[in-house]
Amino acid sequence: MLKGFGNILVKELKELMRDPKILLGMIIVPLIMFPVLGAVMSFSVESAAEQARKASVLVINNDGENSSDAFIRYLNSSVKVFVVNNTLPAEAVSSGLLSKYNTTQLIEIPAGFSANMTRHFGGDTNVTAYVKFYSVFSGAGILEGIGSSMIDDLVAGFNRYYAPNIVYTYSSSIIKGEIKEGVNPRVLSTLMLSQAIAMPITIMILLTYSMQIAATSVAMEKEEKTLETLLTLPMDRFAILMGKLSGSIVVAGIGAVTYMVGFNYYMGSFGALGSAGSNLDLVSLGLVPSLLGYVLLGISLFVTLLSALALAVILSAFAEDVRGAQSLVGYVYPFLFVPSLLLMYVDVNTLPLAFKIALYAIPYSHPIIASKAVTMGDYWTAGLGIIYVTAFTLVIMYLASRLFATEKILTMKLKFKGLRKRQKTSAEEP
Amino acid sequence: MLGSCLVSAIEIVDLTKDFGSIRALDLLTLNVGSGQIFGLIGPNGAGKTTTLRIVSTLLLPSSGTVKVSGLDVVRDAAEVRKIITYLPEEAGAYRNLSGWEYLEFMARFRTESKKETHEMVQEAAGICGLGERLRDRAKTYSKGMKRRLLVARALMAKPKLAILDEPTSGLDVMHSYHVREIIKRYVKEHGVTVLLSSHNMLEVEHLCDQVALVNKGKVVAEGRPQELKDKFGSANLEEVFVKVVGFA
Repeated sequence: MLKGFGNILVKELKELMRDPKILLGMIIVPLIMFPVLGAVMSFSVESAAEQARKASVLVINNDGENSSDAFIRYLNSSVKVFVVNNTLPAEAVSSGLLSKYNTTQLIEIPAGFSANMTRHFGGDTNVTAYVKFYSVFSGAGILEGIGSSMIDDLVAGFNRYYAPNIVYTYSSSIIKGEIKEGVNPRVLSTLMLSQAIAMPITIMILLTYSMQIAATSVAMEKEEKTLETLLTLPMDRFAILMGKLSGSIVVAGIGAVTYMVGFNYYMGSFGALGSAGSNLDLVSLGLVPSLLGYVLLGISLFVTLLSALALAVILSAFAEDVRGAQSLVGYVYPFLFVPSLLLMYVDVNTLPLAFKIALYAIPYSHPIIASKAVTMGDYWTAGLGIIYVTAFTLVIMYLASRLFATEKILTMKLKFKGLRKRQKTSAEEP
Repeated sequence: MLGSCLVSAIEIVDLTKDFGSIRALDLLTLNVGSGQIFGLIGPNGAGKTTTLRIVSTLLLPSSGTVKVSGLDVVRDAAEVRKIITYLPEEAGAYRNLSGWEYLEFMARFRTESKKETHEMVQEAAGICGLGERLRDRAKTYSKGMKRRLLVARALMAKPKLAILDEPTSGLDVMHSYHVREIIKRYVKEHGVTVLLSSHNMLEVEHLCDQVALVNKGKVVAEGRPQELKDKFGSANLEEVFVKVVGFA
């Protein structure tokens, strides 16, 4: 064993474990954070599963004979079924029947369904029946495909009950209130999976990186005492703050672009697999944000980034060194991670009111919410989010600028020193 | 030199500064003549750095007034910053900038003219004597090199008042000597007033025209080094320091 290693190890452990920042950041926070994250994941999956269990489906019965009644009875044993007779799916969608019955799934039993079944059972096994399935695409997230999986399972169950492969499903999607024939909801949700994952993760990493950069930048200035020099120079102190924020944004932006390129390449390989044979074109389906959507998303991301950076600057002003600043910034991370993870799995609109309010109150949720909203053409949600985050950012920026305009940027550290001095009753220079 | 002391470069009257329940400065009063090298000496925690930080507009006084060339450091802080430079104790430079880039960066706050910026940096290069090493990043510098760079930065703008907190802190004999010579030369050539703090009594004795001994936030003795030695019957300032402050 290395001579003196044990001695150094004991010293290091004592020093680290006695540092309250490390104790909080490395031990207590994870003990709180991981259970919280676990609860969020569990809640998301439970919530999606619960939604699937409570799922309802609107059935348009254009057949009206025995077999269609049997099919509806079979569906009714698993899900809540609302039946409408003799109408077209397009009419049902445009007349708001889906909203009326609070469902996102629609099955049409076409005319001739029972007749085909009868012919099949009469010996003509080449004849089969089919139902048409339509699912509303809401951009909810990873668990979006659960509804269509459920219908597939039900039809498979019906086939097992009657005869193998007697009923087929022709699946289509309802996107932004329009039926897109032949666009399989499952394939679509697989294709959109990369977006559902990529945006929250990218935003989470972008914010985390930026906050680290800003906090390190201020803490380095304090540690090296270059901040003291800057504050005595003939310049506007707000320029120091803005310079730091802008520098962090630029570096973080470059990092984000690099990350996006790499991540998209990575996710692209899955997208290619998902779209193989499906020939789905997201542009023609309207599932790529418009120019206005991109602008709103960019603004949302920018103001959120600015507020996160300003917060990092304020927090790092409380720290004496880089390590302290990074520990302090770490306390904000749960507010970045929880919305990102939650919104990867669920649609914010399906959450209970208290969760919804909490999620909207966290400014870092808004770029993720905006990214989904603009994809679905919901510009109001993105716009209102921008207004809220801008107001929050202005408050934080004001606090940060006040901090730089006064001696507090230095005295907060001095107060810590003073505290330590009192503890040690030493007579060091303040 | 003393003839130029008719105009006060710094006037400090009844200055107090509290950090929570700790009183760092307690009715401190000082007057520094223009063109002087004025030294603040005192034990750790006496209030030297706090005084320098208030004069340099970093901290606000709890009460009392501080004026630099007639400008109030609270009310006219922006104007004061135009005529002072401040060198904090144990300050560093930007690790990933070269010495040259650092000096250029600092010079640009003093002038918008490229020519003047270049002249200022050339001046600083002469002061610090780092030669070609100025092209290297500051993280590769020794402590002595860094300190010389920072002293050069503080003097290159030829400020009315240079506030230097422990200018030779951590330097070896040769580097300390070099820095002291620079300070002396600048005061002589450019009429710069220097307010410095130091623990090095030899340095203070040789460098300063006037000295104030600070203890527990108050000036307990003030005068020329020779006057203080005579007054306390001491052979050097170190003895004066021990007699006045004691071991308390």
